[in-house]
Order: sequence, then C-alpha cells, then structure tokens
Amino acid sequence: MTDTVRKDFSRRDFLTGMGGIGVGVIFTGALGGSLLAPAKAYGVPASEGYIVVDEKKCSGCSTCMLMCSLVHEGEENLSLSRIQVVNDPYGKFPNDIVQYQCHQCPFPACVEACPTGAMHVDAAHGNVRTVDTSKCIGCERCINACPFTPSRVQWNNLAKHASKCDLCQETPYWSETGGAAGKQACVESCPNKAIAMVHDVPSQTGAGGYSVNLRKADGWGKLGFPVDDAGAVIGDNSLPMTKGAEPSHPAGATTYFPRR
Amino acid sequence: MKRQGWMAGLAALVVAVGLAFAIKAAWADGAQLLFNSAGWAVWIAPFAGILAAAVTRRVDPHIEGDQVVRHDGAAMLAHWTHGIGTAALLVTGIALGLLFVPRLVVGVKAAGLVMNIHFAAVVFFLFGTFYWAANTLLATKRFGEHLPDHNAISYTIRHYGLLLGFKKFTMPPEDKYFESERMAFILALIATIPIILTGFVKVAAHAMDVPGQIVRIATVTHDVSTVLMLAFFLAHVFFAAVLPMSWPVLRSMFTGRVSLDHVKAEHAGWLASIRTAVPETPVAPTSKGV
Repeated sequence: MTDTVRKDFSRRDFLTGMGGIGVGVIFTGALGGSLLAPAKAYGVPASEGYIVVDEKKCSGCSTCMLMCSLVHEGEENLSLSRIQVVNDPYGKFPNDIVQYQCHQCPFPACVEACPTGAMHVDAAHGNVRTVDTSKCIGCERCINACPFTPSRVQWNNLAKHASKCDLCQETPYWSETGGAAGKQACVESCPNKAIAMVHDVPSQTGAGGYSVNLRKADGWGKLGFPVDDAGAVIGDNSLPMTKGAEPSHPAGATTYFPRR
Repeated sequence: MKRQGWMAGLAALVVAVGLAFAIKAAWADGAQLLFNSAGWAVWIAPFAGILAAAVTRRVDPHIEGDQVVRHDGAAMLAHWTHGIGTAALLVTGIALGLLFVPRLVVGVKAAGLVMNIHFAAVVFFLFGTFYWAANTLLATKRFGEHLPDHNAISYTIRHYGLLLGFKKFTMPPEDKYFESERMAFILALIATIPIILTGFVKVAAHAMDVPGQIVRIATVTHDVSTVLMLAFFLAHVFFAAVLPMSWPVLRSMFTGRVSLDHVKAEHAGWLASIRTAVPETPVAPTSKGV
C-alpha cells in the first residue's frame, strides 16, 4: 500500500502541487489583501519628543550644529549636523537667522517614502523618526518626501546614507543618554538656551516652524533685548545701532545690545 | 520551429510589457516602487516557474537527418528568461550599487525607474531560474550534464587555449557541454544561489521589519555575488556569443538545432551517447518541446 502511494505520487506530482499551491496562496493573498484591506490605512504613533527653537533667542553661533555633528559623527562638521542654522544677511530680525530642525512629523512622509524600511518610527525609543543606516540604499526618496524646505533629512556625503535628527538616541561619541526621554546635544550646548525639548506636539507657525517662547524663564525683556517676553519685536532692528540713535525699548531697560 | 517562434515572440512581449509597466509606474508623480506595491510578484515567480516546469514535457536530444536537436523549447525558455533577467539585473543592480561613488543614477525619478526595471528583471529571472531548477529536479541527468568531471581542468585549459588561438590540438570527445562550460557552471551556481537568497531578504525588507544587521550582511553578500555573476556573465557572453567558433551553438539557443557535422567535430562523446540512447530519425519531424 505504502509502495503504491509512493509510486503514484511522483516527483512531478510533488512539483505540480508545490507550484500550484504557492501560486494560489500568494495570488489569493495579494488579491484578497488589495480588496479587503482599507485603502491607505497608515498610522504611526506620535513622537514622544520634539526639538523646538525660539528663533528670537538664537544668535546663530552654530554651537548646536557643531555639537550635533560631534556627538553623532565624531567630528565638528557643519555639513553633518542634523539641525541647520542659516543666516540671511538680507532678512529682518527675527527672520535674519533661521533654524531648520526635524519636526518629528505626526505623519512622517520620509518614513512613508522609504522603500526599505531604513527610515522608520523607532517604537522602542519614544517613536522617534530615525534612519537605520544599514538598510539605507541611498535612493534619497526620504529627502525628497520631506514636506519642509530645506529637507530635514540630509544626505551624509561621507558615510553615504540618509541622516536626520534622532533626538540624540544614537550618539556613539557622547556618553549621555539621549532620545525622547534623555538629553540632546543641541539643547545642552546652546549658550542662549534657545533650543528646548518638549514632549507634546508644539503649535505650528504657518508652513515653516514651531511657535515657541523660551524667553520668559530668562526674563529676556528686562535685559533690554529688542524683543519682549511675549515675543513682540521692538522697533526696526534690522540695522546695527548708530551712535545717537534713540532705541525704542521698554521703560526700565537701560542697555541695548545689537543682536550680533 | 513555428511553435518556438510563437514562444519567443510571447516571451519578448512579456518582457516589453513588464518593462513598459515598470517605466510607467516609476514615471508617474508620487510613483510607487514596484518592490513596495507589487512585491507579491517576486514571491509568486518561483512557484510559477516550478508549476510551469511540472506541466512541461521535455524532449531529449536526438538526431533528425543532418541535424541534432540540442535544446528543446523548455531549455530555451529557461535559458533566455534566466539570461535576459540576469543581464537586466546586472545593469540595474550595478547602477543602484553605484548610487554612491561614482554615482550612475541621479535623482529620485531615475532611482525609482532603475529600481522598477530591477523589479521586472527579478520576476523574470526568478521564473526562469526556478523553471530550470524544477526541470532539473525532474530529470537529474540534466544536472549531471552541467557538472565538471575529472578532465575538467586540463580540458578547460586546452579548450580556451584553442579558442584564443595559442594552443593547437584535436578536441577530445566532449560531451554536450564542454568541460570549460561545466567549470563556468560552478561559478554560475556559486553566484546565483547567494544572489537569490540575499535578494529575498532585501525584498522582504520592503514588507516587514528585517533586522538591520541581517540586511547589512545580505547587502554585502548580494554585492559580492553580483561581481561573481558579472565575471561569469561576461566570460559566458564572450565565449558563447562573441567568438565565431561558438556561433553554431549560439544559433542552437534560438533554433534548438545544431548540425550533425558540428556535433561530430566538437561533441563526439555526446553524439555517441545520443546514438546509444535514442534511435536516429531519418526524416526531420516537428520539435515537440514547449
């Protein structure tokens, strides 16, 4: 009986069954998946941390950029920083210095665009949107997909992979614990305390940035800077102070410091 | 012949449609990569190849008048799907592998296009390779035809020496495939198996969270295997298609047939085995291969 079964079930029968079942299962699975799955069902948990910058406090010293590069890459290289501070010589205060940092978007287009899962939401580390460099194939779709200009995902031209702010989750050249629950090199190093870490999604200002006020804690207005605690810009400060000019600053403020 | 012509035309049409689909998919705004949107095709291709082999009835080599039927339709289908797939994979794979220095593909659209053509070639390549493998499993003697024997090294040196013109000697009674080709087959196997296995890992990474370390190892292995495959491919094309001595056999990869005189001169060992196994047919009938 056993011999009969063995003889009847040939190698060709085995391959026919294997091929047929394989084609059937995969085809049915793919077809069923496309018909039954809800269209564009895509959701990711919110990041547990966000880097915010008070643009009115930033002096454009680039310390944050150098530190970002140093703790991540082991060298002070402005091009390798995941936060970028850009000076606009034609811009008026407070738009003469602009900070470009990753927003850890609620809907991370970079993650959605990545074909290999290299750009991912790291659920084990506060849902930070970050790059697994070992999976990056260099297609730069994530850089193109970022809704902000310039893209908050950069191309690391030395290591040849996409790179973005990971809230200092992985900092091989820094002994501090980073990530959404830890410290960030840019926050720790900013001499003006213009950068902070918050844990709720900050409110947006237009299409560009977050609206934050980090000045209150420092009594910023009392120091006579050309912006008060509420963020109101005082006078036209786009040009350096000229001798004899009368600054319009709040009563009690006795000293005026040009911003740079 | 007529049937083979239809098969060749159909295969060419499938390739053309696949490439057109890949290009169209890559060129639309907000285009999806086929590795993401149609990844299932990569997994179905091997099973389709196995199923196709299971329903294929092979025709063994035999003599028809003054010609020898060297390859049946199944052999040609396996060869060309595997071969064309390999060529397209090498071109696109090397372009993608050199996204860094020197950069051959510039821009997101171009990268998407190359990846989609790579995808179409993967499906084609996997179908052809698994079609061949399943056919080989059904008739293991065909696998033996490809494996080198104890004469492999000395015959290979003599064979290539003769082809390149620095050795003169009478060809030994070679089998269906030269010993040199059998040696090259080992290199092809060494290159193909890791490429397929690591390719599956890379495709899986599009659909699931594969650990980064595994992807890293798979990528390096895939790249090294690609270099080996390139070496094999270039040598194969040169010795099997460029050198005039190989043209009769190259033609047989399209027609299935080679002249009896050529077989007598180059493959005396094979001719003897055909005459032993299959009685000679005086009048040439229509080939009954796939």
